[in-house]
Amino acid sequence: MWYYDKKLEYPINIKKCDPRMAKFIISQYGGPDGELAASLRYLSQRFHMPTKETRAILNDIGTEELAHLEMVGTMVHQLTKGVPADIMEKAGLGDFYTDHDNAVYPISASGVPFTAAYIQSKGDVIADLVEDLAAEQKARATYENLIRLADDPDVKDPLRFLREREVVHFQRFGEALRQVQELMGSKKYY
Amino acid sequence: MDERQKLMEQIMAYDFCMIDLGLFLDTHPADANALNDFRTCYMESEKLRKQFEEKYGPINQRFLPNPRCWQWIDDPWPWAREA
Ligand SMILES: [Fe+2]
Repeated sequence: MWYYDKKLEYPINIKKCDPRMAKFIISQYGGPDGELAASLRYLSQRFHMPTKETRAILNDIGTEELAHLEMVGTMVHQLTKGVPADIMEKAGLGDFYTDHDNAVYPISASGVPFTAAYIQSKGDVIADLVEDLAAEQKARATYENLIRLADDPDVKDPLRFLREREVVHFQRFGEALRQVQELMGSKKYY
Repeated sequence: MDERQKLMEQIMAYDFCMIDLGLFLDTHPADANALNDFRTCYMESEKLRKQFEEKYGPINQRFLPNPRCWQWIDDPWPWAREA
């Protein structure tokens, strides 16, 4: 289970609205390599992990991804709060505004609503951990694209933090994969 | 940045270190240095949390509430822009 801490994992305080940037960043909320997908993927896969280390790492990274989901939602909220319809439309968010006003909704940058089809929970430990490694790299690449699209330091700073975390998660999943491979040792046919 | 936010960001910094060290310890459960760092961060965070909650109200619902008022609902929530 989870308890809520009334704080973010890392500070966010965006003083200037920028719906253009919100349209891009929302992809890390509900897009293919976003934080919701990440969290759901790891928290689903943890049930069939074979060792205490792999169970813990999937559980704890899945939990951290929820904190990232909250950070990304916070960024989108602060970038669009109170922005009127015509400005939303000029920023390419007219379609979004029609269905969601200034709400936060899990969707990709290109407007596709979140789907569980973005993730896999295969039940095969090697397949799942390799997917997790790729997922962290894809999230890192997305954050790098977002950092290139951003100009406000209030936006870039938390994006850099989130990018860093993907690198750390990749490292931890690599260690988890090596442990499982060593355990399977003799029968290395994958 | 006001006093409240300053204290909150100190707590966030220690709590973040615990998240990061926690992941490291998941795959290196016998690493004495990481364990020691985790202990230090835990103790610092606990101390500051107590200070914060006494002054500004609960960070977590696991908090002995005032018998007359449910402070949990009080602003600010973490996603709000600073005033
Ligand atoms: Fe991640």
